[in-house]
Amino acid sequence: MKRILSLTLALIMVLSCVAVLASCVDDTPETTTTTTPSTEQKPVECPGHVDADGDFLCDTPGCMTPVKKAGNYTYNTYMTEFPSMWNPHDYETATEGEILGYTTLGFYTFDYNEDRTGFVVVPEMATQMPVDVTAEYVGDVWGIDEEETARAWKISIRDDIYWENGDHITAYDFVESAKRLLDPTAINHRADSLYSGDMKIVGAKEYFYGGRSVTAQGNSAFSSYSEDLDSVLVFRLAPASPETDNQEIYFRGWYGFPASYDAAKTAAYLEGGDLAGTAFTAAVAAKMEGKTLAEIKADPEMKAAWDALNNWFAGYGANPLYLTLNKATYEVTTWDTVGLLAVSEYELVIIIEDELSGFYLNYSLTGDFGLVHIPTYDACAGVDDNGIYKNTYGTSVENFMSYGPYKLNYFELDKKIELVTNPMWYGYSDASRAGQYMTTRIVYDCYELPETAMEAFLQGKLDSKGLDSDYITQYTGSERIYYTDGASTWFIALNPNESAFANWEKDNAGYDKSIITIKEFRMALSFSLDRQNFINTLDPTGSIAYGLFNNMICSNPDLGVMYREEEAAKDALLAFWGISQDQIGPGKWFATKDDAIESITGYNLEGAKNLFNQAYDKAVEAGIYNGTDKILINIGTPNNTSKFYSRGYTFLVNCWTEAVQGTKLQGLLEFTNDSTLGDAFSDALKANTVDMLFGVGWSGSQLNPYGLIGAYTEDDYRYDAAWNTSAEYMDFVADNGTTYRASVLDWSYSLGGETIEVQVVGEDGKVTGDVEDYSCGTNANRPEERIRLLAAIEKRVLEQYDMIPTHNQSSASLLGYQVEYGNQEYVYGLGRGGLQYMTYNYTDEAWDAYVAEQGGVLAY
Amino acid sequence: MFKYVLKRLVLMLCVFFIIISMCFILVKLLPNEPPAAQPGTDTYRIIMMRREALGYNKPLIEQYWRFITHTLLGGNWGLSEKMYIGREVWDVFLTKLPPTMLVNIYTMLIAVPIGLLFGIYAALKKNKWQDHLISTGVMIFISVPGYVYCFLIQYILCHQLIRWTGGWGFPLTMMSGNDYFSWEMFVSIIPPILALGMGTIAGLARYTRAELCEVLTQEYMLLARTKGLTRGQATVRHALRNSMVPIFPMILGEFIGIIGGSLIVEQTFGIPGVGPLYLESINTRDYNFYLLMNSFYTLIGLASGIIVDLSYGFVDPRIRMGER
Repeated sequence: MKRILSLTLALIMVLSCVAVLASCVDDTPETTTTTTPSTEQKPVECPGHVDADGDFLCDTPGCMTPVKKAGNYTYNTYMTEFPSMWNPHDYETATEGEILGYTTLGFYTFDYNEDRTGFVVVPEMATQMPVDVTAEYVGDVWGIDEEETARAWKISIRDDIYWENGDHITAYDFVESAKRLLDPTAINHRADSLYSGDMKIVGAKEYFYGGRSVTAQGNSAFSSYSEDLDSVLVFRLAPASPETDNQEIYFRGWYGFPASYDAAKTAAYLEGGDLAGTAFTAAVAAKMEGKTLAEIKADPEMKAAWDALNNWFAGYGANPLYLTLNKATYEVTTWDTVGLLAVSEYELVIIIEDELSGFYLNYSLTGDFGLVHIPTYDACAGVDDNGIYKNTYGTSVENFMSYGPYKLNYFELDKKIELVTNPMWYGYSDASRAGQYMTTRIVYDCYELPETAMEAFLQGKLDSKGLDSDYITQYTGSERIYYTDGASTWFIALNPNESAFANWEKDNAGYDKSIITIKEFRMALSFSLDRQNFINTLDPTGSIAYGLFNNMICSNPDLGVMYREEEAAKDALLAFWGISQDQIGPGKWFATKDDAIESITGYNLEGAKNLFNQAYDKAVEAGIYNGTDKILINIGTPNNTSKFYSRGYTFLVNCWTEAVQGTKLQGLLEFTNDSTLGDAFSDALKANTVDMLFGVGWSGSQLNPYGLIGAYTEDDYRYDAAWNTSAEYMDFVADNGTTYRASVLDWSYSLGGETIEVQVVGEDGKVTGDVEDYSCGTNANRPEERIRLLAAIEKRVLEQYDMIPTHNQSSASLLGYQVEYGNQEYVYGLGRGGLQYMTYNYTDEAWDAYVAEQGGVLAY
Repeated sequence: MFKYVLKRLVLMLCVFFIIISMCFILVKLLPNEPPAAQPGTDTYRIIMMRREALGYNKPLIEQYWRFITHTLLGGNWGLSEKMYIGREVWDVFLTKLPPTMLVNIYTMLIAVPIGLLFGIYAALKKNKWQDHLISTGVMIFISVPGYVYCFLIQYILCHQLIRWTGGWGFPLTMMSGNDYFSWEMFVSIIPPILALGMGTIAGLARYTRAELCEVLTQEYMLLARTKGLTRGQATVRHALRNSMVPIFPMILGEFIGIIGGSLIVEQTFGIPGVGPLYLESINTRDYNFYLLMNSFYTLIGLASGIIVDLSYGFVDPRIRMGER
């Protein structure tokens, strides 16, 4: 009996396992296919025309008749990792946004100019460019004054936009979608697309944050300190904590306190160090921790301690905002306070917080605007039994709707994505688009290994393939190779923090880092870097970088002018690299400025050796270096598995070890590598746990260098946290001939449109005592002055030698024989034409035959 | 035996609970992954708000209680926050299990008989050239790491074969779709089957050979032959059956391993299976995914131990467990 029972028990266990596994086999929710919508929904017979390629195009807007193409043209591509979700409200990465690139559209879009040498922004889902209706919305409701313009814009949308299932899209769908995007319970990743960046919709942030408390650094929450803020500024010395929104006070990074220093340890350190003998003690600091400045100032003991700390910190040019956090609680608001209105079925009004017009307004409206198919979206939304909101929109074919040129036809997680022509898209019945969108099907496969992807390309299974450095060498002579410059510039970043270095040296006898704070030392590091050799070794497709911005950064998108083509930008570069204007001109060293710039190599070994000697002398004279200690530079990298970082570290060590030969620093320079930083490399440099990073930079903002400059001047972004840009002053001659003085930080704020206070500088170079308001944003309408100011800030940042430019991003790829780009030249916003302009040399059937004819493997 | 099985099951649950509790606490003690956004930015704040909503900042004991009640007892494994953002981790796991199982089942069906046959043949030809040849091959395939011949197989069958034949080779990756029992699907997974099967074949062949060699020298084998049985009859009826006592649980263990994927093989041959999930869930600190994977494989591991132990009794009725 016992045996039977035990056998039964064992059998049940085995059967349970089998049942679970069997259920797994049946449960395949991802691998589903939809069919083309039934032609019963709309008339089958419809008027149309045949375009130059022999394709039949229906002229009836929203017609369900499948587009008849002359053949099947499949664009085969791949990804190394697949998206699991492409919800327009929640996607985060470019991979997750890949499907949306074919299935959604913006109000406006980029298109080629007439000769295809540049871009223009044209209406896509809109029927015309935005119309300024600010005057109609003046009043307290939207916070618009009578004299204001460019705060409210009306967008008229097409009346023939349909979802792939035939549902009509109107202005109300945009409003309802935005309401769901900003739903406070959903906490969508992309909610900030409606309240941050250039286009901030009035009331959107308040609606989203309604009822929540948000903590921010004092200097992030407020641009300047006044005693009115004392009641909302909280003093803190403790490191970041989850309870306070992970916000770190600026002071900790500035001083170089490691994370292990809690409030008590930090206070004790200050008490025994720079603040010894003052009213600031660890005991009082403990009382102050977490209290508002108003509470602190009300207590004599705490006020005295605060004054001691603040006075000492003010000596470095810093202000109380750097020692505090701000916690604000947003009130719950209703949707009617959000400035997004559907004023009719096909008219949408967007009311924004700051004036915005021209290119940047249109550019802000090129995205998908979070439009979702409301019935499907709502059906996918829910709250699980942990009370957590979830939404499965954009996770399968059934849970997603397209309104763009292509629709999702098949999705298999981590395996295959297939998109096919969406017959409901209005563009297919638009005669002006004849010859575009020749591709009838797009297939994504998953190849995790580059070697497998390369073999798939050679076997004709992929139509293009990006190349890494090893393959570039192999295919450099191919007629099908394309090189593409990117917008990013990469740097060697340093954060010369005197106090942090001094602290480190106390615990590491015989070693020194303080010499890094000597500018000549950093200059020597830059001049001794053979940049051409650097890119040959590490990034063969790249080009040498000489400034903060490269040739792909556009300073005037309206006219398509690139920043480096501007005279002021050229002058800044020449001045920084030591080429005098006297050397340029007919019969002189350089005929033109371009010739002069072309001569720059950034490499001057002899000059570098002199600078190393000067740095040595200065450091010894200043008493921060004894002349015999080893100088240890800890170079941080995210990992050591990437060839770029492993080879790069070796290159830099060899380069600088060689450069100090024959100088006073010979044999004194040592290097270590911390290759464990991962994504935290930036924080590591700011906290001075490493001394240098390389291969760092910023991407994005290709059309807005005026905003991008903030990455080098603003505390939230700068790698060199020790450089106090608010205390670093710079003179600038405005178009009116007056010389003004302000901090580097303020100047960069003024480029963003903020009004700053500037001091007037007299002919003797001293401030006169007069103070004026100054702003140089888009609306100031002084484009040339704006360029000059940007160039002046760029030069000033470069002269700090904390960010040493090394190379510009570039990439290379092979294009298969089946397809051709629409445009040979790369143009911002359109690339080489993408699928919109891509043409095919073979139909799918002819391509298969061609590949077979070649023996299954193609030669490139 | 019933008591024994019951005792083992109760102990298994206790061990499972302890392991899972330890893993939960240890993984939650790890610092959270820094948000992929600059502090102070709106994106950063949204990430922190989501973490707050997901309970990241709740006391550990509260998170643990929620894990016990909602997850272990309630079956709600939650949403993936890193690897498959917004998806139910259980759904993703179930979606990715069939391809792994398919490849592993084919591998077992092919590798087990071949391994046994090689082992038997080598034992019967002990110390002859056939034995030496098989043993050498076995040593090579056991010694060389699996990923090496994984890449070699792909290089030969998927890269070079098409060049040698002028147009025909095995597909580079597993075919897409859920038509698991089609010929095209089978052809597309032959390379990963070979890559996975080599080790199993070699291991089984070596083990079978060793066991059979020992049994073949036993006196009862001589008795069997003297009774008039042919060599084949004596081998199959007596030697092979007795040698199966340690081999059968090994085969059973391999079958249980069907639901465990191989990271390298799945990545190399484009199998959308569960192989990379465990490691990735740790690397990306996708807590819910990690806890699911950990719980599932811990339970399977513990259950398989019991099944293997019980299987001894089925293979050899003389073996009794837990009885005095």
